[in-house]
Amino acid sequence: MEARDDDEMATAGAQLLMAAGNGSSGPTMDVALKIWRFDSETGERELKQYEVEAPEWSCLLDVLDIVKDRVDGTLSYRKSCRMMICGSCGMRMDGAAVLACKERMKPIVDAGHVPVISAMGNLPILKDLVVDMGPFWDKFKAMKPWLQPGFDEPADGKEYRVSQERMNVIHKEALCINCGCCVSECNSMESDPEFLGPQALAKGMRFVGDARDGATVERLEEYNSEHGIWDCTRCYFCNERCPKGVDPRDAIAKLGAESIKHGIDRDMGAKHAKWFVKSAETTGWLRETELVPKTQGIVSSIKEMKFAMGLARKGKVPPPFPPHVADRVEESRKLRELTKTQGRDGALGIVQGERGLARIEHTDRGGARRDVPETDPTEPPVLRDLS
Amino acid sequence: MTTVAYYKGCLASLSAKELDTSTQALAPKVGLDLIELESVTCCGAGDIHEAEPDYYLHLNARILAYAEATGSDTLMTVCNVCTLNLRQANFQLQNDEALLARINDNLATVGVPRYSGGVEVKHLLWLIAEGEGYERLKEAAHKGLKGLRVAPFYGCQILRPSKLLGFEDPDRPWSLEAIIEACGGEPVDYPAKIKCCGFPIIQAREETALGELIQPLEQAVEAGADAMVTPCPLCHLSLDAWQSKLKKATGRDFKMPILHLSQLIGVAAGLTDSELKFKRHVVSVGPVLEKLAT
Repeated sequence: MEARDDDEMATAGAQLLMAAGNGSSGPTMDVALKIWRFDSETGERELKQYEVEAPEWSCLLDVLDIVKDRVDGTLSYRKSCRMMICGSCGMRMDGAAVLACKERMKPIVDAGHVPVISAMGNLPILKDLVVDMGPFWDKFKAMKPWLQPGFDEPADGKEYRVSQERMNVIHKEALCINCGCCVSECNSMESDPEFLGPQALAKGMRFVGDARDGATVERLEEYNSEHGIWDCTRCYFCNERCPKGVDPRDAIAKLGAESIKHGIDRDMGAKHAKWFVKSAETTGWLRETELVPKTQGIVSSIKEMKFAMGLARKGKVPPPFPPHVADRVEESRKLRELTKTQGRDGALGIVQGERGLARIEHTDRGGARRDVPETDPTEPPVLRDLS
Repeated sequence: MTTVAYYKGCLASLSAKELDTSTQALAPKVGLDLIELESVTCCGAGDIHEAEPDYYLHLNARILAYAEATGSDTLMTVCNVCTLNLRQANFQLQNDEALLARINDNLATVGVPRYSGGVEVKHLLWLIAEGEGYERLKEAAHKGLKGLRVAPFYGCQILRPSKLLGFEDPDRPWSLEAIIEACGGEPVDYPAKIKCCGFPIIQAREETALGELIQPLEQAVEAGADAMVTPCPLCHLSLDAWQSKLKKATGRDFKMPILHLSQLIGVAAGLTDSELKFKRHVVSVGPVLEKLAT
């Protein structure tokens, strides 16, 4: 370390190591946090509060290190790179999945808030903040996350070139670090644990959208399974929580668009989506009453008759005839015809204008998220002043 | 008065007409002068975004163009899904000149006015949760709600993704609570108020959707709510109409009245029965009205 003292660019290694020691380098703060301790072998579960002194620049992971080092060596959590790239330290703070190495603690301390730290959701807890990532990796592997040969060799015998426009289609998906924050929060997976989920499907899109991959149709067929892309409930928790801006819900929409472009539309979800297109170009407004038979088929619809009659009594089943037609609906029909000739279908259509979105992808609101039922009920329920 | 272009969307035009009548009746009382858009279509509800994304952008650009042609800089929505779809398309158009130019050429070809990018899409909730709208709301809600315990249900697409919506912290929203209080009601808190009602997949994956739908209903009952209020007609439809399916699947009959945002305020503001149209609800709102009448 001394040898590097003359180098202006060198990391202040000694300071870095000392900082967590006795507070000799720079200002410190008193951090309080509660951690849900859990041992899967004994089933013991306890919310324990810890108070430690930490440098002001500390992130959540630094604070956990100090707790483990000075207060309780039995605290378990995963960590590795400390720089938001290995994806090891996913956990929940105040009920929201975060990377512990990304969350600065100063705004939380300044607000006088005592955050609750717990393990990620939708995965079994092994100990304290460590979850069993087995189910996560099983779904990841099911996506065959590698390039599959089958593409045409370039005619000139030179290297295979992919246009920037094509690579933009999978730009966000390629940023995934497999941390599991999206899976932790997925509302569909809470209800259907077999759902392939946002991480696996975003990974699938990374290969479906790759011009060098030769298994596009086979992949789309697999991802159109019962627990595949049409199981997504569009809650957008994955986009909200992803610490890297992958936007898994957008990836799932791209897979839907690619499926329909390739004529893979047997799933009820695909039929549902296509009926909206049909409605928009014929009457302008959704043809609500016909949506059920168009999605589920006639046989299933008949089974729904009793339910439908109940809704009809309340005016919830508008008669399809005469249709409710929007004024100047021919404009809508002509616009569809035009878009069909301009080659922007599939995933390519979804990423248009996205460069604008990319500029605000990595916003860090900072601070605690929200209180959750496991939080001390005496604390204020809404923390409006933290933004 | 603030003049806004009003986009009612599919449900308020069809199966949720009570949302439209109560919104139109409430608007002048909270300082909003609505110019209803006549020549517009469905926003695509996320489905056209997924099926034919380029067509989705054109449909939404057309809605925005007709809104701009009214001279107002605000397009008011009354549905979460419309709000996200229109704001997402608007963001893409405003941030990509080449995209806006191509779509404007196509709009011109079929006879639609050009869109310059000068419209902002705002949900009714946002227009009355703060500022002048909120002040007017407090005056308008003269009848109050007599301490009615109301569970706010936000739904997803008015909160997330926050980079496209951004009105309030998606994990600690406050707007519905503020409105419930301004109307004289008592907001009850429960964690599932920001989660999904399951509606987008209620036809294609009913079982998964019901597993989501039961959470807010169960928690609102536990929290002692007399009713739930939502700013989204799709959340309203699943919470109201699919309660009977939950009863069939789980044996639990929640009997929870579900109110549209405009109806809850409408009750406090003294709107008439023909404007509120509670008869169109599947779950009876009777117990709420009885409690308020005592």
